[in-house]
Amino acid sequence: MPDSQPILEVLDLHVHFKMLAGVVRAVDGVDFTVERGRCLGIVGESGCGKSVTARSILRLLPSSETTGQILYHPNGSDQPIDLVSLDAKGDAIRAIRGKDIAMIFQEPMTSLTPVYTIGEQIMESIRQHQDLSEEEARDLAISMLNKVGIPDAERRLGDYPHQMSGGMRQRVMIAIALCCEPRVLIADEPTTALDVTIQAQILRLIRSLQQDLDMSVIMITHDLAVIAQLADFVIVMYLGQMAEKAPVVELFQDPKHPYTQALLRSIVRPDTPPREQLHSISGSVPDPRNAPSGCRFRNRCPSVHDRCVEDPPVVEFGPQHTATCWLYVDD
Amino acid sequence: MLDTPILQVENLSKFFPVQRGLLRRTVGHVKAVNDVSFTVNKGECVGLVGESGCGKTTVARCLLRLVEPDQGRILLHGEQQTFDIASASRKEMLDVRRQMQIIFQDPFSSLDPRWRVTDVVAEPLIAQKVGRSEAARRVLDILPTVGLGAHFADRFPHELSGGERQRVSIARALVVSPPLVVADEPVSALDVSVRSQIINLLLDLQSQMNLTYVFIAHDLSIVKHISHRIAVMYLGRLVELGTTQQVFEECKHPYTKALLASVLIPDPTHREQSFVLEGEVPSPLNPPSGCHFSTRCPFAQEQCSAEEPDLRDMGGGHWVRCHFAEELDLSEEIFAPQFDTLPASP
Repeated sequence: MPDSQPILEVLDLHVHFKMLAGVVRAVDGVDFTVERGRCLGIVGESGCGKSVTARSILRLLPSSETTGQILYHPNGSDQPIDLVSLDAKGDAIRAIRGKDIAMIFQEPMTSLTPVYTIGEQIMESIRQHQDLSEEEARDLAISMLNKVGIPDAERRLGDYPHQMSGGMRQRVMIAIALCCEPRVLIADEPTTALDVTIQAQILRLIRSLQQDLDMSVIMITHDLAVIAQLADFVIVMYLGQMAEKAPVVELFQDPKHPYTQALLRSIVRPDTPPREQLHSISGSVPDPRNAPSGCRFRNRCPSVHDRCVEDPPVVEFGPQHTATCWLYVDD
Repeated sequence: MLDTPILQVENLSKFFPVQRGLLRRTVGHVKAVNDVSFTVNKGECVGLVGESGCGKTTVARCLLRLVEPDQGRILLHGEQQTFDIASASRKEMLDVRRQMQIIFQDPFSSLDPRWRVTDVVAEPLIAQKVGRSEAARRVLDILPTVGLGAHFADRFPHELSGGERQRVSIARALVVSPPLVVADEPVSALDVSVRSQIINLLLDLQSQMNLTYVFIAHDLSIVKHISHRIAVMYLGRLVELGTTQQVFEECKHPYTKALLASVLIPDPTHREQSFVLEGEVPSPLNPPSGCHFSTRCPFAQEQCSAEEPDLRDMGGGHWVRCHFAEELDLSEEIFAPQFDTLPASP
């Protein structure tokens, strides 16, 4: 059954940061599975823990307290590796980071170093993981830049990041992420800083590379339209917790959690009547240090109930569809 | 009501000099805004859209003389008199600013962190020589209008969320009761759940206070929602201008079509993008000859790179800057789907 082959399993992940003002429970009980060749979307607003989840997979948050399991199934091995148990600065995670699991960050302006040419930056990543000569690495870098749609790639190798536009820099980031043919690509808001026409190009590029390389993608975004266009399976997060988990069509057509429902109602769609009041969610996302007990959405929820002060149960609506809410539990 | 002009922009241009070398010699100009003309009528909302670098923010800043326009006139028809903002004196600008205010994009950098909300909101009044006690009273009047309780008056910006800060910026703009408000990307820095609150607030305030908006944004679905008329800019030029209906349903410029087609639809059962534009916006320092869009336009012909098209009237207030506006068929079907059909969801 090659279709539903799990490549990454996250089980009961908690990421806590100890701050002077108290413990921030940035991620509090997240479970998901990434399947081979599929795109998992993680959607939520600022502070929901979506980026922390992504970074903890690559162990990029050494100062956090991470518990739970992140099981990575390496190619051709039955024995999964628990990434949480690895030393965040050790060789084992370094061999996976950038090679098997690669990441694209939101800000193409700040995630490339300004003092090296983009050629040097791509080749650094290639030579870190592959035993290639400088010549071979250079050829691979050129072919990667061609693949991500940078014209005149050979000349562009000598350019510094400031000589490129935002869209070009994001393509370079994608080229660096893809040069070792990763099995999982984590894209953290890859198009938020870009213009709409460039966003369309980059998303199309990620989608076609995903198909060509049979790669899995974790797409992290606040934009439900990006999720609708790319994801196969979606997790909706709110203040560190999973509100809902569902296949993409089910989530958009039959959302169960009041937060998902409200989010979907509040966006402008092509058929929204012009200049009419939009549905909106009252209040704003609370400071994660003062998150409400029980259901964290309860002080903004239109269907709030006395029971919501207690931790809500996970309710199943189908084999892959769950929502964490009291609404569907009878007394 | 919709036909009385309140703001007339005529042939507005702003060229920023590019200086190089030790002697700071001017080696060229970035034509940020190039011969832009449009009219805003009382009570309407005009949307200004385009990609970064197209000059939409420079237009907004010229309207308030936050940058000095190089050419053109900006006529503001006030209650008593008409001002030409482009050549107004300092004293006249004080009157202008009572009639026109701006809301900035980023509520995190547009509020002074050391000022309390009440001081931030009172600042335009103080600039207008309103007395302190009168100013304090008007601040307390305006806060509930933007949905903030009186207890917000003594808070500092860092104590507020993004949505609350943007409400403070809106209060600051409205406290002098200007008939005209320029909103430069007022919701793009906000969370999704807060964005719709602010859009609703802007719509409410417009009908309550009979405001006129110039609304600048790159998010086309929001611009479509709020605007009566829309102006599309590309590399400093206005390329299309018309009612929301004309621009969205009957657009005649290939660039407008491309912009509309790149809007992602929040529906997983519609995953086809008909028209993805290749390439990027060229440098405004060296815009392509002829039609600035010719290098990316799928319909470009020889004439397009040789000769710059004029902004031409297509009838009904619909203006298009394209040689072939009448002939092009921009209906959906002529574009082959380039966004590969996706595998069905599991």
